[in-house]
Amino acid sequence: MPESLSARNIVKHYGGVVALSDGNLDVRAHEVVALVGANGSGKSTMSKVINGVVVLDGGQLLLDDAPIQLSSPQAAKKLGISTVFQELSLIPQMTVSENIWLTREPLNRYGTVDRKAVQARTEELLGLFEGTFKTNLAYDSPVASLPPDEKQIIEILKAISFDPWMIILDEATASLDSRQVQRLFELVQSWKEQGKSIVFVSHRMEEIFRIADRFSVLRNGRTVGDGNIKDIDEKQLVKLMIEKESVLGFLRGEARTEEKIDKEATLEVENLSNDGLKGVSFKVHRGELLGIGGLRGQGQRHLLHSLFGDIPYLGTVKLSGKELHFKHPRDAMRNGFALVPGDRAKEGLLYIRSILDNLLIPSWKRYGFPLKIRKARMDATKTGENLNLKMAGLDEPVSSLSGGNAQKVVIGKWLSREPQVLLLDDPTKGVDVGTKAEFYALLNRLSEAGKTIIFYSSDDEELIGLCDRVLVMYDGMIRTELSGDSLTEQNLIAASLGIAEQGGAV
Amino acid sequence: MKRSLVTRQPAFFALILLVISLAINLILQPNMFAGETLNSNMRVFLPIILLTVGQAIVILGGGIDISVGGTVSIVNAVLATRVGLQGSTEEMWKFVLLSLLIGLIAGSINGFFIAFLRLQPIITTYATSFLYVGLALFILPNPGGGIPGTLAGLYRNSMPLRFPLAFYVIAVILLIWWYASSTRIGKFLYAVGGKADAAYETGVPVTWVQFGTYVASGLMAALAGVAITMLSGSGNAEIGVSMTLTSITAVVVGGNALSGGVGGVVGPVFGAITLGIIQNIISFANINTWWETFVKATIIVAALAAPGVVNLFRRRKL
Repeated sequence: MPESLSARNIVKHYGGVVALSDGNLDVRAHEVVALVGANGSGKSTMSKVINGVVVLDGGQLLLDDAPIQLSSPQAAKKLGISTVFQELSLIPQMTVSENIWLTREPLNRYGTVDRKAVQARTEELLGLFEGTFKTNLAYDSPVASLPPDEKQIIEILKAISFDPWMIILDEATASLDSRQVQRLFELVQSWKEQGKSIVFVSHRMEEIFRIADRFSVLRNGRTVGDGNIKDIDEKQLVKLMIEKESVLGFLRGEARTEEKIDKEATLEVENLSNDGLKGVSFKVHRGELLGIGGLRGQGQRHLLHSLFGDIPYLGTVKLSGKELHFKHPRDAMRNGFALVPGDRAKEGLLYIRSILDNLLIPSWKRYGFPLKIRKARMDATKTGENLNLKMAGLDEPVSSLSGGNAQKVVIGKWLSREPQVLLLDDPTKGVDVGTKAEFYALLNRLSEAGKTIIFYSSDDEELIGLCDRVLVMYDGMIRTELSGDSLTEQNLIAASLGIAEQGGAV
Repeated sequence: MKRSLVTRQPAFFALILLVISLAINLILQPNMFAGETLNSNMRVFLPIILLTVGQAIVILGGGIDISVGGTVSIVNAVLATRVGLQGSTEEMWKFVLLSLLIGLIAGSINGFFIAFLRLQPIITTYATSFLYVGLALFILPNPGGGIPGTLAGLYRNSMPLRFPLAFYVIAVILLIWWYASSTRIGKFLYAVGGKADAAYETGVPVTWVQFGTYVASGLMAALAGVAITMLSGSGNAEIGVSMTLTSITAVVVGGNALSGGVGGVVGPVFGAITLGIIQNIISFANINTWWETFVKATIIVAALAAPGVVNLFRRRKL
């Protein structure tokens, strides 16, 4: 078994975006290394570098101090490096055992799959997590029928089924309950004793301190610190993760002061729940810019899409005291809601259609039958000018625009409907700095004009610079509400990681 | 989580349909299980069954093959022109082997475009279907030619141990399927059809599996072409055209998901037989010819919709 794997000065770009500029990691046998960092710090890229999913642009990997190249996940597997993927690599239509043993099925002498061996070995693996399953999980259960936590366990079992020496757990505990996490940690402990090494990628501080021997912190693609977990505490670790200097200046709407906000709550949400939300309640006032924070995938998307009638939910939503239950985005639109979705290429735009079509798609109804194309073009031109949209012409396809300008089209198509409630799902993702500043100005203008804005962002600085109040989500719930003096980057990150309770200072 | 038999065993629904249509057919044609009648039905069903097996494999792997009818036509045209009504038995077997080779080549062309060049299966095979039918028309511009009557009789009237020949062919195919599906290759097929990305990450040779499904489908289409030529005894370059959609329908009636990764080959074989029996029922029910297509289509649409309707009601109750 190898003794160590090191990553030195790793560089990785995705197009023009630098994911890693100087990533370093040392993994040794008999050790658990925690890889920590805020959103977008390069954690996932780092684990993809070690398991061969991405090819590096610079730096090198050393196995027992000898340089190696990992050109594919298979190459990594051959060296005994196994990954528990965050996006599961399971095939839903196949059974538990078929998934675990895919490409490594035990065969009998006729060349067919030895079902008895498969069953026995699968049951042996399932035995590792015995007693933590909520369903009657058996070796022949179809994966599609399993809840997320059990799928995650199958993914873990698949990763360890070929007895690797190094296991990368990429957010593997995110969907597990405490008993399952406990069992996993017992296993990690025994793997350690066997001489395996484990890379633990997680944003749960409590788990990191429970299981890790060493830590390595990434910030903006650079490794900014590592050492023994014994020598550090939560506070210091969070500090390492935070950027000191702010790059962007924020224009906070001066007019929007406490008194100006209409104290009447326009939107009241009570006990919203579905498969991604566990009872979310809050109120937003007219003209308020409410931020939603937290790590990715803690239910923010579910919240916004539920409010827009896109995902079914239980609970009540009141707009100006009137109870509403949207069953279709159409209902939400009629009531003055607009949603700027997180994945603009997939959900926000018809990519190959023209800018004109995209700007007018929610509003064609206004232009009668047959369509008054000239008026439509004039309105679209006006929207474009308002948003300072840089384009070759209205008839160019949206795919010809840059990320920032494409996002302007998404916002523009809703603004022409004059929405009262604007839901934004990470709108500045992949948007250049100049356009970001324009967005901030626009959001301020809109909230001054009395629109209610609910704004999720994965960029913590943005939330602090722009919002009056930030609700931090964790595990489908609102963990903490931050406003005024408590709205600081340190509190926001601490709350995202599930450390602080109820807005208390760290 | 409780799952009904219908959702867990897709072939189960196909079996119910088969039993119902058999029962109706039996009422209309009481002697249908008598040796001769059974044989005269099965020999008509066999070409479409063969075609359906190939189609089922492609669909299981996440693709679709619209060119199978074209391959049937080429084989029919080749046999009808090269063997001829006066041809010898040796000639016939020689050209049957050539036909299988043609099927392999036609399938390889589809597979190359789809698996290696990553083109859309539906468009690619739609395009190659014209290529194949066009070639068949070039070989045999007008219906005519054929194979010796004795050879046609061999196919039509052989009943070893008093069972129709078709039964043996189906048994052999199902045995091969049963073996193949329990090897690694079988698991790969389901994995690729289920979620190709995940299969790739796990190390499944996705490209080769996809390629293989089209080759298998081409081979089965060639066999179907041989069978239908021996059934009709004559040549017609457009004989396969209408068979393509029937094969796809049979796969779906047989309980396979068009999206791939779900089902098997047994269900589609039942599906193909069911479609044949529905055709029988219509001819026995003395339905006006004008209504025949309409009635047939209605039955098929109802059969396809049934599982969806069941699911809809189940969702409503939630």
